[in-house]
Amino acid sequence: MESIAIEVNNVTKFFKISRPKGISNLAKSISLKNQSFKVLDSISFTVNKGDVLGIIGTNGSGKTTLLRTIAGIYKPDIGSVRINGRLSPLLQIGTGFQKEMKARENIVMNGMLLGMPKKEIENKVADILKYSELEKFSEMKLKHYSSGMRTRLAFSTAMQIDPDILLVDEILSVGDRNFREKSYRTFTSFKEKKKTILYVTHNLESISKLCNVGLLLDKGKQVIFGKTEEIIEKYNNINNKNN
Amino acid sequence: MSDILESKTISSFKKKVSLVFNFAIFNIQLRYKNSYLGIMWSALEPLLYFSVLYVVFTGIRGRQEDFAIYLITGIMMFHIFTRGTSGGLASLTSHSGIIQSLRIKRDFFPIFTVTATVLLAFVDVGVFFALMPVFQFTPSITLILLPIPLILLFILVLGLSYLLSIVTVYIRDIQIIWPIFTHTLLFVSPIFWKTNEVQGILLSIQKINPLGQIIELAHRLVIDGTIPPINDWIYTTLFVVGIFVVGYLVFRKLEERIVEEF
Repeated sequence: MESIAIEVNNVTKFFKISRPKGISNLAKSISLKNQSFKVLDSISFTVNKGDVLGIIGTNGSGKTTLLRTIAGIYKPDIGSVRINGRLSPLLQIGTGFQKEMKARENIVMNGMLLGMPKKEIENKVADILKYSELEKFSEMKLKHYSSGMRTRLAFSTAMQIDPDILLVDEILSVGDRNFREKSYRTFTSFKEKKKTILYVTHNLESISKLCNVGLLLDKGKQVIFGKTEEIIEKYNNINNKNN
Repeated sequence: MSDILESKTISSFKKKVSLVFNFAIFNIQLRYKNSYLGIMWSALEPLLYFSVLYVVFTGIRGRQEDFAIYLITGIMMFHIFTRGTSGGLASLTSHSGIIQSLRIKRDFFPIFTVTATVLLAFVDVGVFFALMPVFQFTPSITLILLPIPLILLFILVLGLSYLLSIVTVYIRDIQIIWPIFTHTLLFVSPIFWKTNEVQGILLSIQKINPLGQIIELAHRLVIDGTIPPINDWIYTTLFVVGIFVVGYLVFRKLEERIVEEF
């Protein structure tokens, strides 16, 4: 068995600055050349199986873009990402859900998109609803759900497909304290099963509690990759400087 | 990568088919959510088109033999086309949430949307057959070839769905123009007029109108009871396959960066 779960190799990603649309901007948009800026600049690191990697950085430092690139949603312009195992992304909460459909139907759709056969996910619906503590609302349309409820539903569904690698983008802060503690417990049990978690957050306390490695990004650049304590210290320095 | 939509084994092929089929069903359910008559609209839409045009044109021209069945043949094809392409057009933009949060092959979206169109087409075909006894129409044996123009129509819808869905991501104006365009097709296709009654511009448009060509093939099979000459089949098939190939290639070329456009 290979011990590496994720290998990120020299990943660089550009975003186009979109040209202005609309008739009044026509002249401007033709005269402007396509501009782009670097969102990620030569990021390289390796995550071993069983690692919990905390990713921190100020707003706009490229954390979400990095997770999306690892999830295969964005394609890197330079460099490569190698994944070893079944990956379950938990990004931008609730966007994979259909607002007009009931929670139960959404679980089935989501599970199927994550690669589960229909029968299997249908058998798990009850468990998922129980874990998310949303049994009472299983027949309610998603548009009537609060953002916390949607988060709980997405988290529970993603955990049930039993992934080897979990990508989590700053979502647990939405849940209430009870649910947050429950999800930390699930994370810990995940860790014990030698599974891998990538975790983006602004909550330093949870980083030092959960993660054994950390990555600090600043303006698209990799500042350091290493022990969580060092990373948190460096992050505080950056924040102090900006103040 | 253990992505289900990328591996090539048989069992994963079965899984893909089941995924597409299930999402087609979800798509149909979603389409009629929040309406009282639900899926019945699927039959009512072509019937309403039919009733209006039938009343107006028998009013203008008097009763013509087999006009009702001539009309419903064209409306059936037109309705499948319009519903199919408008659904296909929105297939990427209306699922931007899923595309932004999961790794899925992009053509999953136009494919399951067109699958929904094919499933709903059974309702249109049902309406078509239901009207035959109402207007005391006895079909000839050539009717059994009707599935061929229908298949051509589905290929056309899929090709246009590829093209429209991806171009709409970059140029949103398409979603405003397309309904006007399809509405124009109702008038410039042989739906309530016959190709031997018109001349000039209408006839020229008909030559380059793939939907009109497909409708014309269906009319010959249903109304005339003759099999159209082989050249007509070849012309229409090449036309439709050409549109499909162009749509597919444009989609492949542009699909990579669509996430950044949402």
